[in-house]
Amino acid sequence: MVQDVIFRRVVSTFALATCALALAGCGGETPEADSELSSPLIDERHENFEGIGDAFKAIRGQLEQGSPDFSVIQANAQDINQRAGNIESHFVDETAREAGYDTEALAAIWQEPVAFSEATQKLMDTSAALVEAAGEGDPATVGAAVKDMGGSCKNCHDQFRYDDEA
Amino acid sequence: MIEPADAGPAEAPGTSHRVKVWDPIVRLSHWSFAVLVPAMWWTAENSEWGWHRRLGLVLFGIVTLRILWGFIGPRTARFGDFVRGPSSVLAYFRGKLSGGARRVGHNPAGGYSVLALLLVMLAQASMGLFAGDPFDGMTGPLRPLVGVMTADTITDLHETFFWVIVGFVALHIVAIVFYEAVQRERLVGAMVTGRRRVPAGVEGIGGLPWGRALAAVLLAGGFAFWIAQGAPPLT
Repeated sequence: MVQDVIFRRVVSTFALATCALALAGCGGETPEADSELSSPLIDERHENFEGIGDAFKAIRGQLEQGSPDFSVIQANAQDINQRAGNIESHFVDETAREAGYDTEALAAIWQEPVAFSEATQKLMDTSAALVEAAGEGDPATVGAAVKDMGGSCKNCHDQFRYDDEA
Repeated sequence: MIEPADAGPAEAPGTSHRVKVWDPIVRLSHWSFAVLVPAMWWTAENSEWGWHRRLGLVLFGIVTLRILWGFIGPRTARFGDFVRGPSSVLAYFRGKLSGGARRVGHNPAGGYSVLALLLVMLAQASMGLFAGDPFDGMTGPLRPLVGVMTADTITDLHETFFWVIVGFVALHIVAIVFYEAVQRERLVGAMVTGRRRVPAGVEGIGGLPWGRALAAVLLAGGFAFWIAQGAPPLT
């Protein structure tokens, strides 16, 4: 009957469309919303922070071992210290989330530049202290230094990074 | 699957009747998955991590419920009813099971589809429980139970494994469309209303066993709630 033919065509088209969508969804970048602004600085600083995060994970991973490799900890702390030195240069242009940029950087960074500078300095100081502690190889001192450095991550995030966990 | 159950007006009256096939828990869990799986994808893509975690735990609870129901629910809900050996699956595809006794419920091929979909959803939700980095965004409630590098690996796997689910869901949809469009079996309608028209002599399932249903909901819900709290005293 005609209705059956129409029904089959509609349903088959729907099936093809579903498969096409499923395949199209595989891989690839999520397209940014047209309304979101971007800047090369955003990509750069994102990569820099990802590097800090990976290095910090490696350090914490070492501390979870029975006998941590302090040279690995030191190398990663050195990496964090170097990346911390790059942070301020990544925020020279005002590119806040509130202004419509695709970023987790809050406007507070540019509204409170002194506080942001202090937070960045804290990361530089705590990572430098960890480099030294790892060089000496005392587990208790290293543990405390890692904790301090983690605290400096949190300190900056609490003030200047968008909280997407709500 | 029964064919040709919904042949329409050509059948003489009195040779078919509508029976119950899928109980409310089977149907509600099925349609919850259809809504929640895309929701999990959307919340992750849009960094809505609070919702991702909340809905993920709801999904975990419903998968748990459906698995539990697969052991204590009415006949068509039970794994024992539709999980058959590979020879049964082959026989089904060769059409040998369509003769003789007819029954409602999943056929052997559909049965493995159900198992596969439930298992991949369970795997994905379980990975999510352990995922994340406490210094960088959302974490699952059981994240404290694993080490940093393990959690990192699980998080990466959780992201990639979603595409395995997409593959199985696409296959599921294609199969259902095939049955609807080509075999003319009204499966979608049956999964909504719970009823199908079947030949006389084919029996449906009975009413919902309320006691067991309540017990299953409370057990699964309680388990998911406990996990959501971090499975105390484990964390």
